[in-house]
Amino acid sequence: MNLLDVNGVALHVAEITAGGTRGPDAPTAVLVHGMAGDSMASWYLTLAHPLAERGMRVLLHDLRGHGRSDAPAHGYALDDFVNDLEGLLAAWGVTGPVHLFGNSFGGTIAFGYALRHPYRVAAITAIDSAPPTAAWFARMGRRLGQAGKLTGAGRHPVFARRLRDVQRLLTETTLATELPASRLPDPVAFESVTCPVLCLYGGDSPLRDLAAETERLLPQTRTVVLEGAGHTVLVDRAADVRGHVTAWLDDLTTSLIGAQEGRTHG
Amino acid sequence: MPADKTAILADIDAMLRAVLGDFGTDLEISAASAFRDDLGMESLDVVSLAGRLQARYGEDVNFAQFLAGLDVSSMTELRVGQLVDYVAESLGPVSATS
Repeated sequence: MNLLDVNGVALHVAEITAGGTRGPDAPTAVLVHGMAGDSMASWYLTLAHPLAERGMRVLLHDLRGHGRSDAPAHGYALDDFVNDLEGLLAAWGVTGPVHLFGNSFGGTIAFGYALRHPYRVAAITAIDSAPPTAAWFARMGRRLGQAGKLTGAGRHPVFARRLRDVQRLLTETTLATELPASRLPDPVAFESVTCPVLCLYGGDSPLRDLAAETERLLPQTRTVVLEGAGHTVLVDRAADVRGHVTAWLDDLTTSLIGAQEGRTHG
Repeated sequence: MPADKTAILADIDAMLRAVLGDFGTDLEISAASAFRDDLGMESLDVVSLAGRLQARYGEDVNFAQFLAGLDVSSMTELRVGQLVDYVAESLGPVSATS
């Protein structure tokens, strides 16, 4: 197990080394998972290897308080998670623009990073997610409150174990109060984020309501809805998500080459 | 010679016990054991197992490719024997024809 010490917290990290041939200037993909109950596994087992096979350097981590990373008692506002992403990129030696992939709250971290460093982000792929807005953080606060009341009785042991981990996070750290109270960006700041954005939603997910505000804040957003899927669309419909993300990345590459040729001929 | 499946099962048994830690101490592990229902493995345990398989077998065993052929729900239904078969197939090109 690989651990990196970032901002005083030992974070569990992984890099996918298998896959296609990769040049020294290969694009870097950083895959960020969601809040409470999620881990790098949901990316590792779905998109991580297909992205590596496209020739990308693929980096993953467990967020603080999640998976195999340490869980400090405090430090769970949005800025703390963005600080960790910043620290990890420095530790990994990533300097060029990075492709950020975020599942649920992981997408929010990706948008948070792009607001701080708009020129260091090549593109954002957000799966059933939203940028940091008051509406989304209010909703997360309510959901974290509900998660504290769930019971594992009569459920599959694996589910019960994961629920215990979530409840430990909610009772032994200040996440449940700190995260909803996060300092949020001024909506005007989103104008600085001009990189391409793909937002993919489960058709039955409550987060789909947030798509309109995302498109208003980031008009370049391409929205894709997978009908019949819920919030856990990444894991439940991995093959469909892979198909949409791959097609989008192909389009980006094509338009980039087009733009470069346009410049050369112009 | 086909790769020895008994030896591979023993290897994987040891990896699974290491991955599962305290949860794995009293477990009965056989080819018929299901990752999720019998061994109580969650998805991060599968990630740890992937790391150990790569450390043990290197590039010969492409666990990523094996995983890519399964969706996440069938991965949790996966049995130890299926992984043993896949490793044996990857390691030992059966040379019965030569």
